[in-house]
Amino acid sequence: MEVKQFVGGIHVPHHKSFSEHKAIKEASVPAEIIIPLVQHTGVPNQPLVNVGDRVKAGQLIGATDKFVSAPVHASLSGTVTAVERRLCFTGEMVQSVVISVDRDQDKLELADVDLDKVTREEAIKAVREAGVVGMGGAAFPTAVKLSPPPDKKIDALLINGCECEPFLTCDHRIMVEQPEKLLRGVRLLMDILGVKHAYVCVEDNKPDAIEALRQKNKDPQIVLVKLPTKYPQGSEKHLVKAVLDREIPSGGLPFDVGTLIQNVGTCVAVYEAVKHRRPLIDRVVTVTGQNVRDPQNLLVKIGTPLSHLIAECGGIMQQPAKVVVGGPMTGKAQQTLEAPVVKGTTGVVVLPPDLALEDMDYRACVSCCRCVEHCPVMIYPNQISIYCEAGLVREAAYWNTMDCIECGICAYVCPSKRPIVQWVQLTKPLIRQLESERK
Amino acid sequence: MSTTEKLVFSSSPHLKDKVSVPSAMRDVFIALMPVTAAAIYFFRLYAVFTIAVALITAVLTELLFSRLMGKKHSLYDWSALLTGLFVALLFPATAAWWTVAIATFIAVGIAKELMGGLGWNLFNPALFGRVAVILLAPWLAYVSGWFAPLAPNLGPVDTLTQATPLAMLQSGSADLPSLGRLFVGFPAGALSEVSPLLVLIGAAYLFYRGHINWRIPASILGTVMVLSAILGHNPVYQICTGGIMIGAFFMATDWVTSPFTGRGKLIFGAAIGVLIVVFRFGLAPTEGVAFSILIMNAFVPLINRKTTHPQFGHVRKAVAVE
Ligand code: SF4
Ligand code: SF4
Repeated sequence: MEVKQFVGGIHVPHHKSFSEHKAIKEASVPAEIIIPLVQHTGVPNQPLVNVGDRVKAGQLIGATDKFVSAPVHASLSGTVTAVERRLCFTGEMVQSVVISVDRDQDKLELADVDLDKVTREEAIKAVREAGVVGMGGAAFPTAVKLSPPPDKKIDALLINGCECEPFLTCDHRIMVEQPEKLLRGVRLLMDILGVKHAYVCVEDNKPDAIEALRQKNKDPQIVLVKLPTKYPQGSEKHLVKAVLDREIPSGGLPFDVGTLIQNVGTCVAVYEAVKHRRPLIDRVVTVTGQNVRDPQNLLVKIGTPLSHLIAECGGIMQQPAKVVVGGPMTGKAQQTLEAPVVKGTTGVVVLPPDLALEDMDYRACVSCCRCVEHCPVMIYPNQISIYCEAGLVREAAYWNTMDCIECGICAYVCPSKRPIVQWVQLTKPLIRQLESERK
Repeated sequence: MSTTEKLVFSSSPHLKDKVSVPSAMRDVFIALMPVTAAAIYFFRLYAVFTIAVALITAVLTELLFSRLMGKKHSLYDWSALLTGLFVALLFPATAAWWTVAIATFIAVGIAKELMGGLGWNLFNPALFGRVAVILLAPWLAYVSGWFAPLAPNLGPVDTLTQATPLAMLQSGSADLPSLGRLFVGFPAGALSEVSPLLVLIGAAYLFYRGHINWRIPASILGTVMVLSAILGHNPVYQICTGGIMIGAFFMATDWVTSPFTGRGKLIFGAAIGVLIVVFRFGLAPTEGVAFSILIMNAFVPLINRKTTHPQFGHVRKAVAVE
């Protein structure tokens, strides 16, 4: 299929070879799991269990009646030892249920539903009850996404298998190893949305994934799209632009152009949720980097501490290291390894000392324009950096700071090593505040 | 599992490109080496002496101003040295050394450091220093009297007093060098004017390293060629004289003092081209390039503001659903 190139973007070294050919392996059971009550974008859940309670794997332990949310489940059987605030990978303290895990685990009981008999409403309800969220990192509740406002008609479903962040290979492995489940999930989503076209989008640096999907795909309404490898190809705006040549308006969402985007991992989770009524209690996490002894793609129970995962992969080789949750362009560096894997955790990247950069001394902008040339949303990061640094919120808003997708390209290419993304993240809330005051 | 891992914390992105300001400045320094070598070949010790004076003054000025302004010196970013080299290359080999020193002092101290350091300067520091001593010439002539006994004798070089091709063109001199000779190497004028070919080789290196963009040089050279052809001059001969090459590829492309928008770069270059032609055929024949670039430097903020491109998703409304 013919695709369009977008303006800007860069070729970052992929670093995928550490784990791209390693089959998904089930991680061992940790002694303790920590399940944050909010793992999604939206309203936090209330705990449904108390200290001392016995919980079973798959049991609902946190929920709320608010619409924009996703419930959480115990991922393993055990005893609740605490319901308290624990460190999350974002650096925040989040109310969490801590479970001391039983040594012997029962097998999860699964239903087997006839997909032909499921109505649209039942399917959405199943997705909601399973706590499915976007698994590409954004963690937006999937059931909410599947219920767009009635005035927004959706005619195309995009499945995001780009995985454009360096190092990460979890989506890649899902496409290679579970193409059938994935494609069934896509069909299910199409039926829920009532759309006739789905596009499974994969960057051309994953030929084995494309081949696996091609062999299994019998559905003429599902189109495989091979996209050029370029960061940030997997960004929603750029994916829609490349595949459908539609431009999501500034400040808008994909459904403003009749489009809905789901990550490949989410499709599998949706299939499991509707077909087997299986809650989202595990996910594939890539543990990788030059500085971890045995990089792996692991099937991990939600709530597993990062320290357990890294130990499972042979540990960190050289100190000081940098441990990043998510991809290296947009992920979060960790100060300790306490934080647990959540539904949106795509990978854990362990960087060696020479790449474990601290925030460097930065210089004034020398106006080299590298950031301007490469910014994928065509804003002016140089101006934004100057005004955000100076705390001039109005000027920062004028230069379209709100359009920034925080892809990290500007800071990556900047010869003055300016921490532009950090400034943008600090300034965006101030702009929002300014705008709400103006209203 | 031990919790005593030594972990480095910072904000995203966690990968960074290798290019840094010092490495880029060093690349420009390297790109100037071919033409510098040619100048030394033609003018021998005179060129060496001029360059040495400028480099030493640049370092001392940087140290002085960073001390005065109470901040860490930025010698390691190469920008002071680079400015020094640029200043030297803008002078003819016969220039009095104290003039070169004063120009360098103004370039590094006033045009760069006092403006807030690299990144905040409005004018190209080297050109600013060069033009300042031209404008200050009446006073400097007075000072020259004191310094004259300090002028070193570096031996005879016959090419030193050669008239520049530009001056020959104006006076209709018969000794005009052939275009080929002019392009490859002809010892006259400022140090950087001796060989357009070697300037281009340096510029090619900068393109290869991704430090300069085609827009500014192309629009300057294009405009000068078209206008001089209209005025009845040989366009290729024109761009090989009077420092247009070094101006178009090295001075006007200075990151800090050129526009950051694509369209702005074209407008900036074209305007410089027009000014060069006006200076050359209308006003004084020398240093027209330096004046043209400096004048346009002053307009960069305005050009930037008027030529920005819209952001992704701007104006275009939601497309109709088929
Ligand atoms: S982080 Fe924002 S400003 Fe920087 S390149 Fe990406 S979108 Fe542009
Ligand atoms: S990359 Fe850095 S130095 Fe260059 S224009 Fe952008 S902010 Fe300025």
